[in-house]
Amino acid sequence: MSDAILEIENFSGGFMSPAGEYNQVLHDVGYCLPRGAMTAVVGETGSGKSITALAVLGLQAPTFRHRTGSIRFDGTEMLNLDARGLRDIRGSRISMVFQDARAALNPVFSIGRQLADTWMLHNGGSRAAAMDKAVDALRQVHIPEPERRARQYPHEFSGGMAQRAMIAMAALICTPELLILDEPTTGLDVTTQADIMELIVDLAQSRGLTVCLITHDLGVVAETCDHVVVMNKGCVVETGTTEQIFTAPQDAYTRKLLAASLLTEYSA
Amino acid sequence: MKTYPANYPIVQVRGLKKLFPVGGGRKLHAIDGVDFDLQPGRTLALVGESGSGKSTVARCIVRLLEPTDGDVVVHGNSVRPLNPVRMATMYRTLQMVFQDPNASLNPRMTVRKVLEEPLKLHLSMTQDERNARLSELVTLVGLGEEHLARYPHELSGGQRQRIGIARAISINPEVVLLDEPTASLDVSVRGQILDLLKRIQRELNLAYLFISHDLQVVRHVADEVAVMYLGQIVERGPTAEIFDNPRHPYTRALMSAAPVARYGVKRERLRLAGEISTPVDPPPACRLSGRCPIEQPVCSQQRMPLEPINETHSVACPFSDRVAEAVAPPVPAAKAG
Ligand SMILES: Nc1ncnc2c1ncn2[C@@H]1O[C@H](COP(=O)(O)OP(=O)(O)OP(=O)(O)O)[C@@H](O)[C@H]1O
Ligand SMILES: Nc1ncnc2c1ncn2[C@@H]1O[C@H](COP(=O)(O)OP(=O)(O)OP(=O)(O)O)[C@@H](O)[C@H]1O
Ligand SMILES: [Mg+2]
Ligand SMILES: [Mg+2]
Repeated sequence: MSDAILEIENFSGGFMSPAGEYNQVLHDVGYCLPRGAMTAVVGETGSGKSITALAVLGLQAPTFRHRTGSIRFDGTEMLNLDARGLRDIRGSRISMVFQDARAALNPVFSIGRQLADTWMLHNGGSRAAAMDKAVDALRQVHIPEPERRARQYPHEFSGGMAQRAMIAMAALICTPELLILDEPTTGLDVTTQADIMELIVDLAQSRGLTVCLITHDLGVVAETCDHVVVMNKGCVVETGTTEQIFTAPQDAYTRKLLAASLLTEYSA
Repeated sequence: MKTYPANYPIVQVRGLKKLFPVGGGRKLHAIDGVDFDLQPGRTLALVGESGSGKSTVARCIVRLLEPTDGDVVVHGNSVRPLNPVRMATMYRTLQMVFQDPNASLNPRMTVRKVLEEPLKLHLSMTQDERNARLSELVTLVGLGEEHLARYPHELSGGQRQRIGIARAISINPEVVLLDEPTASLDVSVRGQILDLLKRIQRELNLAYLFISHDLQVVRHVADEVAVMYLGQIVERGPTAEIFDNPRHPYTRALMSAAPVARYGVKRERLRLAGEISTPVDPPPACRLSGRCPIEQPVCSQQRMPLEPINETHSVACPFSDRVAEAVAPPVPAAKAG
């Protein structure tokens, strides 16, 4: 077995327009996620970061067409799995926090119930025990008064709280081997964000969890990730260790991105 | 462009409160007495802890939520009570970009319809003029005409966010409330959008309320910053003052947690002790009481109002002159080299 838990190779695909034309958006995308490490995927908005991640879980839009390539998780070709095979992996071995956390929560059930249901699905046990687990997970993502919050519905949560509830779901209620986080901290103040990232780094270290962090926040990347994948216009333009990417970027787009991240220097 | 006297307050928020019942007769004080003005050509940034009430403030201003107490005054007129005529003019004046672009874009409408609707409703234009305006709008936010035919779910997160911005500026409002407008944008598009926002602010003399967790962005765009903690503004002042001389212990903790986009930089984070306090039936005490590194006995006995420490800078902490000795200084802004 290789030391990468996920290997994406030459993955190409695109969307069918209503008129029946095929528009390619991913061009030979390839990257690996080393086991037990934190890898960041950064890059242009619209460059294909989210759809690549969704393809890993078999959650592409119905109009998506895959043309070439492979996605291997722990040696298994994900693109060949049937619905049943994908279901067995989703949530139990790979879980994901979606870019739009609130939309991923069900508006008609309380947050606690949703976490508890998912816990029972994977672990069985009594409802009361699952509820305790749910409250505990909310506490770990720094949601104050978790007992009360567990009884609330998604619309009663602030943007950042909904994000933390989804992180609790994907990282603590599910106990995956691979955790994919798509912009998990955009709604969090920097203090809470730092606490949440510490929790994730902690999980990665204590459980040997592999983390894929899709983010625009290069500060978080510099501080927490081991490896970086840079995407632009549907292609992977550069990969390397965090140190390499930040101190000796090779690709022109990577350089441009790093320069743009230091917004204040230019204006001040 | 409309011109107004200097410091003309186009929106005045006074004593604004929003309480949510949480069962058992208890109330969550999402906003607990907030005051500020928005002025043409100026940007007030609202920063602070997740859940501190920032989005609730914006939603009370555009009346998506009914304030529990206090007032929002637009051009000298209270928006409470609101009749349909006032509602319509208010919509022309005030526009909002929502924190969560998915929920605010109708999934069954194409981008074209989303953008066209307000033009039809508020401006008298011919179809040709509207089409021209539509392509102008998508180009302004860095998208193309091909995106007009798409549905929101067919766009990436950052593309959706920019449609929200295009919609808000489409009918030339006077005030725009921006709730995390750049959260899903990569740093280079983020720069372009901030430049765009600044440019139309200058051209149209717009007033902005800019809610963001991105302190770099705030430093870049804001004239003034208000820091919220558990439903109250705990510090307010000119942007440079707040960043270079933060005086409230919460502001210090916040500034010290901002990550730096450079490899190998270690920061000294100021951590607040204890559990985050709750906004449910809060006691009459400083909201930071129990977590504050410079807490005094009086802090748990009374509310701490926002008091000026000079003409422009106010702090809700009577011990703010001790903060510098007691609490590590904030991380300096990124400097080249
Ligand atoms: N269902 C769809 N139909 C057509 N095009 C789509 C669809 N979903 C996404 N796209 C396009 O595919 C490209 C890649 O989208 P993706 O969501 O992966 O971007 P991203 O890198 O995650 O961007 P962001 O940082 O803005 O979230 C974008 O240009 C987007 O417009
Ligand atoms: N409809 C609602 N019903 C009950 N409580 C609510 C409702 N909307 C907001 N709240 C509560 O009000 C408080 C303030 O929420 P708000 O969304 O304004 O926070 P925020 O500062 O925007 O946070 P974030 O940075 O996470 O987006 C939170 O405790 C939230 O749970
Ligand atoms: Mg995305
Ligand atoms: Mg909010």
